[in-house]
Amino acid sequence: MAKSIRASIISQQLLLSVAEQLKLPLLQIARQAEVSQLNNSNDLQTIQTTADSALRLIDNYVLAVQLALDQHQMPLEPVSVSAVLYDSGQELERLARNYGVDVELHIGGRFGTVMANREGLQSALVSLGSALIEALPSSGQPQVKLQLATHRCRYGIVAGIYTDTQQLTADALRHGRRLMGGSRQPLTDFTHTAGAGVFVADSILSAMQLKLQTSRHNGLFGLGTVLELNNQTQLV
Amino acid sequence: MAHILLIEPDRLLADAYRQGFLASGHTVVMCAGAQAAIFAADEKRPDIVILEFQLTGHSGIEFMYEFRSYAEWQTIPVIIQTQIPPSEFTGSWAVLSNELGISGYLYKPNTTFRQLLNSVAAILTPAAV
Repeated sequence: MAKSIRASIISQQLLLSVAEQLKLPLLQIARQAEVSQLNNSNDLQTIQTTADSALRLIDNYVLAVQLALDQHQMPLEPVSVSAVLYDSGQELERLARNYGVDVELHIGGRFGTVMANREGLQSALVSLGSALIEALPSSGQPQVKLQLATHRCRYGIVAGIYTDTQQLTADALRHGRRLMGGSRQPLTDFTHTAGAGVFVADSILSAMQLKLQTSRHNGLFGLGTVLELNNQTQLV
Repeated sequence: MAHILLIEPDRLLADAYRQGFLASGHTVVMCAGAQAAIFAADEKRPDIVILEFQLTGHSGIEFMYEFRSYAEWQTIPVIIQTQIPPSEFTGSWAVLSNELGISGYLYKPNTTFRQLLNSVAAILTPAAV
């Protein structure tokens, strides 16, 4: 009962956050279409990418809510982290190009598989990546890079998304979680948006008993999750 | 023709507004954050500023206090075009607009580019347009 009430509260907070976040792509589409008409141009590519990104946010939100309400089972399976990172990078590429963000992939070694749900892990990484792509250009840096990376740590394999902004702190994330759904701009040091992608990723990972946390990789700052190695498929 | 300082944190929206203003004969400098906007205003004095309150780090209100603290920028008109709805300014808007000399407020989701362009034209003196 208590779990169900808590899940319902999380779903409502997420809904508020996502609703606020969805204003942005709709606004972008409306203004891009209006200005295209004004300029007699037919640049529909940007509008298409913006709409795709909004649809992806809705899909990931629905998945997060289904998981929070426990109506949808997410079976664990052996998953190759590098393959998930590669596919997530592919999915993020067009949005990143629109925002002038370079996406790189960095796999720090040859790892075995981890136990996770492939769909869930990829949805979480893409949600997170989209939120970072929208946020980073407002940091004012001339060249913005986003690195999807994995490395080994004491507790397993870390999969995360990294950049050279120093605003991605554990405090900022903790503060944002408290404000999620109640504040228009819960991650104020890091993004001008509602940051819904971060909270959707957080919720999806929680449903897989994983935790979104701040992380460092090759001197970069980021958000990621620690995945347990799948011992059954270790050959040595 | 006016020189516009556009402070808009979202890159795609800023690009759309910039294209629209350029097509209408204005020149535009885009800034994503408050500090960069102060530097941009220092480099070339804008005829008008269009400001989103919700910025990363320093807010639009902080920008306004700093901007208005310089004597030469106290008379530059500033239009607030923001995602924050008017209901959230109830009670504080009169104080904000009087103290900070804000020329206009537009709720971004309900404002077309044409309306923004008309607001700019209406606020600027005929000599600047």
